[in-house]
Formats: sequence, C-alpha cells, structure tokens
Amino acid sequence: MSKSGKLLYNWPDNNFDESLKFHDASQLGDIPYDVAIIGAGIVGSALAYQLSQYKVKVLLVEKNYDVGEGTTKGSSAIIHTGFDAAIDTLESELVTKASLEWPELAAKLKIPLRKCGAIVIAIDEEQEIQLDKVYEKGIKNGVTDIQKLSGKEVKEIEPNVSEKVRGGVLVPRESLADPFSASTAFSEIALQNGTDIILGVEVTAIENKSEKIKTLVTACGKKIKTKRIVNVAGLGSEHLARIYGGEEFDTNPRRGQFLIFDKYSGSEINRIFLPIPTAKTKGVLVAPTIFGNLLAGPTAEDYPHSYENISETTTEQLQLLKEGASKLYPKLQEQPVINIFAGVRSNCKQGSYWIRCNDNSPGIITVAGVRSTGFTSSPALARYLIGKLQDELGLNLEEDPDAIDSRPENKWPGWWKPGYNIKELVDENPDNGKIVCFCEQITKADVIRQLDSPLKPRTLDAIKRRTRAGMGRCQGFDCMVPIAKIISDHCKIPLAEISKRGPGTEISSTSTSNN
Amino acid sequence: MNSNKDYKAIIIGAGPAGVGVAMKLYNSGIKSVLILDRNDKIGGIPSFYKREKGGVKTFMRWSRGAYPVFGQDFAKWLEKLISKTDIEVKLDSLVLEIDAKGKTVTFVNPKDGKLSVSAEAIIMASGSREENIAERKWLAGARPSRVMYTKQLLNFDKNDLLPIKKPLIIGSDVIAYAAAAKLKAAGSSDAIIVDNTSNPKCPIHERLYFRFWTNPSFHGFNAKTMEIEGKESATGIRVNGEHFDCDGIVISGELIPNSELALIGDLKVNVLSRIPVINKNNQLSEPGWFAAGNIRGGFHGAEWCYFNGKRTAVSVLKYINKK
Ligand SMILES: Cc1cc2nc3c(=O)[nH]c(=O)nc-3n(C[C@H](O)[C@H](O)[C@H](O)COP(=O)(O)OP(=O)(O)OC[C@H]3O[C@@H](n4cnc5c(N)ncnc54)[C@H](O)[C@@H]3O)c2cc1C
Ligand SMILES: Cc1cc2nc3c(=O)[nH]c(=O)nc-3n(C[C@H](O)[C@H](O)[C@H](O)COP(=O)(O)OP(=O)(O)OC[C@H]3O[C@@H](n4cnc5c(N)ncnc54)[C@H](O)[C@@H]3O)c2cc1C
Repeated sequence: MSKSGKLLYNWPDNNFDESLKFHDASQLGDIPYDVAIIGAGIVGSALAYQLSQYKVKVLLVEKNYDVGEGTTKGSSAIIHTGFDAAIDTLESELVTKASLEWPELAAKLKIPLRKCGAIVIAIDEEQEIQLDKVYEKGIKNGVTDIQKLSGKEVKEIEPNVSEKVRGGVLVPRESLADPFSASTAFSEIALQNGTDIILGVEVTAIENKSEKIKTLVTACGKKIKTKRIVNVAGLGSEHLARIYGGEEFDTNPRRGQFLIFDKYSGSEINRIFLPIPTAKTKGVLVAPTIFGNLLAGPTAEDYPHSYENISETTTEQLQLLKEGASKLYPKLQEQPVINIFAGVRSNCKQGSYWIRCNDNSPGIITVAGVRSTGFTSSPALARYLIGKLQDELGLNLEEDPDAIDSRPENKWPGWWKPGYNIKELVDENPDNGKIVCFCEQITKADVIRQLDSPLKPRTLDAIKRRTRAGMGRCQGFDCMVPIAKIISDHCKIPLAEISKRGPGTEISSTSTSNN
Repeated sequence: MNSNKDYKAIIIGAGPAGVGVAMKLYNSGIKSVLILDRNDKIGGIPSFYKREKGGVKTFMRWSRGAYPVFGQDFAKWLEKLISKTDIEVKLDSLVLEIDAKGKTVTFVNPKDGKLSVSAEAIIMASGSREENIAERKWLAGARPSRVMYTKQLLNFDKNDLLPIKKPLIIGSDVIAYAAAAKLKAAGSSDAIIVDNTSNPKCPIHERLYFRFWTNPSFHGFNAKTMEIEGKESATGIRVNGEHFDCDGIVISGELIPNSELALIGDLKVNVLSRIPVINKNNQLSEPGWFAAGNIRGGFHGAEWCYFNGKRTAVSVLKYINKK
C-alpha cells in the first residue's frame, strides 16, 4: 500500500491535536509540488483523487476547515444526465460523460446514490408546446432514453402532481446522491494515496508566477513551492486569477435558497419534478433527497461580489419559492418545513466552464463558472483537467500501481447502513446502539468513526455533513451539545473550544479565541 | 385473560407524563409495565434543569401550595417513585418506529441492539421540543455559531459552561424568561427578549417571579421577517430596520409535540401542528394507543403533565379491563 499524504490544519489555538497542526511550511518537505490544487470543493477533490492514481506530488489547499464547505455543500444534490445542457458545450460533454460513470463511481466511493428519474412537467399550454423542444434537446445531448408523456401518464406514475399537468418528459437516469460525502470521499482517497492536504489555509498571493517553480503565499504566512497551479477556487477563482494576472473574466455569486421538508413528505413524490427550464436557470424543482426528505428550490438571485449577506436565507424569497414549487406539487403547502438554507453558485458572464490553461503565466490553469452542474461533472472535469495538465502544462504521468481508487465496505455512512441493525456489531461495541441524534438515528459509534476517519474532521458541521447528526427535524435541539461533548472527550479538546466550522465559530463565548 | 403480548402496557417516555401513567397503572394492579426513554435518566425535560451554578427553580408544585422547585429535584422525585416499584425501565432506548395495528414498538439501545416488543396498551408520553428556526416561518438570515435552543443551553449547564455572556432570546413564553433567569444567575448580562408579538407571551405573575434574578428588556414586533446576523458566531438580529446586539442567541419556547412516531406509524396526527388526534378517552386513532403530557400539544408545566398521565392511565385501565 502506498504512503499516506500529510494532513495539516492551520488551527491557531493550543487545544487542537498537535500532530495535525500546520506550524511551518517545512512540514511539507522541501521538494516543490508537481501540482497544487487551490480549493477543495467537489472539483478540487475529484482532481486530487484522480491525480492520486499517478506518481505525482500533489497538494490540495483549502481555506475552510473541511473539504466541500463552499458551493459544494449547498446544492440540489442531483446527478444530472445533461439532457437540458446547452448543446455542443464543454459542460454538456462533461455532464453527459460523468452521468454515465457515477453509478459505478458512487459504489466505489461508498456514496449512496439512487436512480429515481426526473419529469419535466408542463402545466399550461405554453409550457406544453415547449416539451417537444426539451425532448429534442435531450436527444441531441445524447440522452436517448428520455420519453414524452401525456398528462394522464404523468398523473399515473406521480399521483401527487398538479391536476393541471398537461404533459411531461421523463428522464429515467436523473439520480439523487449524497453531496456531502462526495468531496470527503475523493479527498480521503487522495490523502491515502499520498496527496498532501492543508485545511484552514487561504492562498493570498503567488510569487514567481512566471518561473518554473512558483510560490504560494498563504494568509497564515507560510510559503509553499509548486511547479503548477490549478485554480478551482469556485467563488474565489476570479479574485485569485486577478492576483496572478490571468485573463480577465467576471463572475458573480448567484444565491439559491432551499426548503427542506420532513421525512414523511419524502415519499409523496417518487421522481424529481422539474419545471420547463429557462435561459437563466433550471428553475425551482421539487425532489426527494437521498436522505428521504423532500427538497424544493433553488431560487436564482444574482448579487455582486460585494454583497455581504450572500449566504443568508430570506423569508420573502422562501415564501415565493414555496408558491412556485407548489405549482408542480400543490400538496407542498401542507408539508412541514424543517430547514432552510442557501447555496451560492459562481456565475461567469463569459460562460459556464470557463477554463484557461497557462493563463498569462505558464503552469497555471484557471477554472471558473462551474455553476450548476459541478457535482455531476466533477469526475469528467477532473479528467479533462488532467488531460490539459499533460498536454499543455508538461506534466508527465505514470500510473501508481499501489494507488487505491475506492473505500472499504465499512465506509457506507451510518444513516444508510445503520450499525444497530446488526446485533453482533452492538455486542462488539455498545456505541453502535447508543443513539445520539434521535431524529436521524445516528449513533455515538458513527460520530467516533468519523472523528477517526482520514481527514480527521473536528468541527460540528463537518461531523454533521458526514453523519447527518443534527440534520433532522429538531435541528440539534437534543444532540448538538452531546455531540460537541463526544468530540471534546474523544479528541481531548475543551468543550468551550468545539466549533461549528473552525476558529471564530466556537460554541461558547468563553472560548479562549474570544478573549 | 390470555394474551400473547410481551407487556400489559408500554410507555414511550419517562418524563413527568410517562411516570404519571406508570405509577397509576402500577398502583391499580397492572404490574407488567415497560417504560422506554432515549435519555440516560428518568425525568424528561425537568431532569435537564440542574441545581448548581445558574440553577433557578422553574418548576411549580401547584399541588403542594404552589412552591417552586428545581427541575432536577422534580425529576429525582419521579425517579424515586419508580424505584419503589418493579416497573421495568429501559434507558438509552430510542423508539424507532411503531406498528399501530400490531401494537408493537421497535427500539434500539446499547444492550439489546434493535428489538421489538408488544403490549395490550401503548402510551405515548414523548413530550415536545421547541420549534426550530424554519418552523417559526419568520426567522431567517445567517447561520453563525452560538444560535441555540433552550435545551442546548440546559445541556451546557451540565458541563458548567456559560455559552453566552450577552444573550438575546427569541421567543417570549415562560421558557424564554426562565432561560433569561438561568443565564443571568450563571453570570451573563440581562437578556434582550425579542418576539413577533406586541406583548410577552409569558404571563405577568411568572415574569414577576423571574424578576428576582433578572430584568430582561422585551421588544415586541409585528414583523414579516427577523434575520439572524453573524459571519462566524452570532452578533445580533435585524428586525424592521432595527439591530440588536448580542454574542449568542437562544431560540426559545413555542413547543411542538414529539408525535412523529405516531405520524409515521399511521396514527392520525395534524401534520403541520403535530398535534395527534385524541378522543375523550385519551385514545389515539387506533384502539389501545394513548397519549399523555405535552405530546398532546400546548405548553403545560411538569406537574400538570404528571397528573395528565394519571388521568390517561384511568382510560388505559378501562381499556385493558374491558378486554
Ligand atoms: C443552489 C445550487 C444548486 C445546485 N444543484 C446542483 C445539482 O443538483 N447537481 C449538480 O451537479 N450541481 C449542482 N450545483 C452546482 C455544484 O454545486 C457546483 O458546480 C460545484 O459545487 C462547484 O464546485 P467547486 O469545487 O467548483 O466549488 P466550491 O465547492 O465552491 O469549491 C471551491 C473551494 O475553494 C476554496 N477557496 C476559495 N478561495 C480560496 C483561496 N484563496 N485559497 C484556498 N481555498 C480557496 C473555497 O473555500 C471552496 O471550498 C448546484 C449549486 C448550487 C449553488
Ligand atoms: C426546552 C424546554 C424547556 C422547558 N422548561 C420548562 C420549565 O422551566 N418549567 C416547566 O414547568 N415546564 C417546562 N417545559 C415544559 C415541559 O415540557 C414540561 O414541564 C414537562 O416536562 C412535559 O412532560 P412530558 O412527560 O410530557 O414530556 P418530557 O418531559 O419532554 O418527557 C418526554 C420523554 O420522552 C422521551 N422520548 C421522546 N421520544 C422518544 C422516543 N422516540 N423514544 C424514547 N423516548 C422518547 C424523552 O427522552 C423524554 O424523556 C419545558 C419544555 C421544553 C421543551
């Protein structure tokens, strides 16, 4: 088995595990990296995962205290087929390719995925006319298994659809997946294959950008040498590109708010309900989630980068969202909402999937505008970027025979395969029968297993995304403090220092970082 | 009577209501009783209100001449009642699902793993929780840390930690004023209490009672929206153009019944309010199923729930004896 990479956290206070602390750049050794990936969203993680299959020295840098905490955490969590993508674009090509490989990939990564299918629904005459276009576009995009349905046929397979339904297009392969585990799984495997990962580290400048060996300058003052840079910083990519003087482009954050409904609403519809898409967005959809809830959203609200409250939810938009979504599924009004959240896409005026190689400096790739389909496209986009690294940035790749490309069976999340279902597991470790999150029925063993997992997550949100503890109807009413206590006991961090998502977000105002 | 059930009665929840049911059944001759609770101790919500630092007596013993007690002491009293019987209690036992027709409950705990048990009568005494942010409908905004529900505040208590020094409380019923008193007693400043009503929901005599510890300022609104602020931890809220400062927020009160087991198990429950349909014999929509305490909806103090448990037990007895 190959050697694991280094995992370091830039965690300033004294209470964090000493062995995981990023004190000095020398901890990473003095050989320059072949590739430094900036941004551990789904795209950066997928790229690290695929590069880790080769004998190259790779660094993954992320400013947050967990992977996948940017745009990636707030999506509709659908693996698209690409049936509605703009024809003959890179986006369409990558989404279509990736959608075919996800079922096998998800099984390797141990990410729950369910092929539930989607229906594009027309509820008035004008929309009905558009269905033909939707169908033809799908066929042109290579999604040949789609079918046109009459209003009656839609009603038959989806009894809770609006009475006004006039017809639809069925897209059988649209799937639901766990968006939180995907970047975690990619990064974990990359780490195990030797990729170094540093978290809580923001890249603020690049020195010697025109030289063969460049230097990443970080907010925490450490400097790291690398031969190549891939900027997959999502919403931060434009800012970063300005720093190294890449070709100009304009992005802006586009907010998408969501409503999450309780589990007993999840079985009311079987497929993803999609409206007729517009030029701007895929529109407000209603969908079951892989977790068994029901989700409605997202809105599409454009703001400038200067807008401070971009990740906030607003009562007004959520109300409009509910009304909009009810047009497809009227019973939504009677369903209990248990959570609201906002995701933020990076919208690029120059077009989606705006990619520049040797972007005014040799050895730098800029990736921007991976707006609405990045979860799906990530494995294909990563391969595309590897091709560019080889062809245009002179990276020589030799396969690493020791590299792993999957996670073991016991990595299926507890909410998917509960340990308490197997008596032997409970006998072996009673924590498998000790439920800490009552709503989602998550055990103490699930939490500890995650704390001990390769990326050593230490924040409440990181544990929540991995286990689902706190994602249920009571929203942490019962379990937040008990889970903080488990992290505190298991990792020997004082309770007051346990944080929601890293330094500055401690759960108690008596934390030392507040004094 | 010949029955193939495991118990005469199973009670879900060992809070005031569940213990009330159990004691009345036991003292009336029903000895085959199982109580299941997901907590590690008997007593329900009161057991989280501790005595020490920050302790405030927020539970009224009306039957004993209206004198206030610590929740923890009320819980200990309940525990003592049970300890004098041979009623079976399984703690750390979360009921996962029920089968209404088969009168079976499935639970999980660290000792038995997952197990199903049946009874002639099953009583839901699973209490209530506070409405979450989304459920309040007019709360939105940022998602900083240090936005907590009252139960979380109580959980901190057990660890001798004061999580907020400058509190802002959203909600204005008794629980909110009790939280303000507790925080102040533990060393915080007087809380700001904010609600979407013109007057505090907490009745005047209870507010006067809590004056002994604290004099929180109340701000009532009739706002479409209230927004939580804070990039990292909570720094305040915005409402109708006003800003209120704090270093932590407690989302308080507005109880919503823990009736999801009933709902998923096909017993009739109002989906939005979560209030189960209960007939005048305290029965749920399937024969043999009953409900007691705050799962029935509304806000009731612990002693009321205990007595409601006893009253419900009378209906249970009638049902069992008729069979
Ligand atoms: C509302 C909404 C719904 C969506 N629905 C779907 C869907 O159903 N299906 C689908 O396939 N896709 C969907 N998407 C799109 C998908 O979520 C995105 O395309 C994808 O997450 C983009 O990933 P990323 O890695 O490019 O960006 P990110 O996840 O944002 O990752 C970039 C990372 O870079 C880090 N970073 C930034 N600057 C720096 C710096 N200077 N130094 C270090 N690190 C830095 C950030 O912290 C961040 O973690 C949706 C998106 C939204 C917002
Ligand atoms: C945060 C909060 C603060 C309160 N503060 C006060 C106060 O200061 N003074 C006051 O008089 N009243 C207060 N109350 C009201 C309180 O509900 C009552 O005092 C009383 O505790 C209700 O009794 P109960 O038995 O109906 O429910 P609870 O006391 O809530 O007991 C219900 C029990 O059922 C268990 N349970 C629930 N679901 C399951 C399941 N699926 N499986 C197994 N076990 C389960 C729970 O663990 C709990 O122990 C408060 C309520 C809340 C929510």
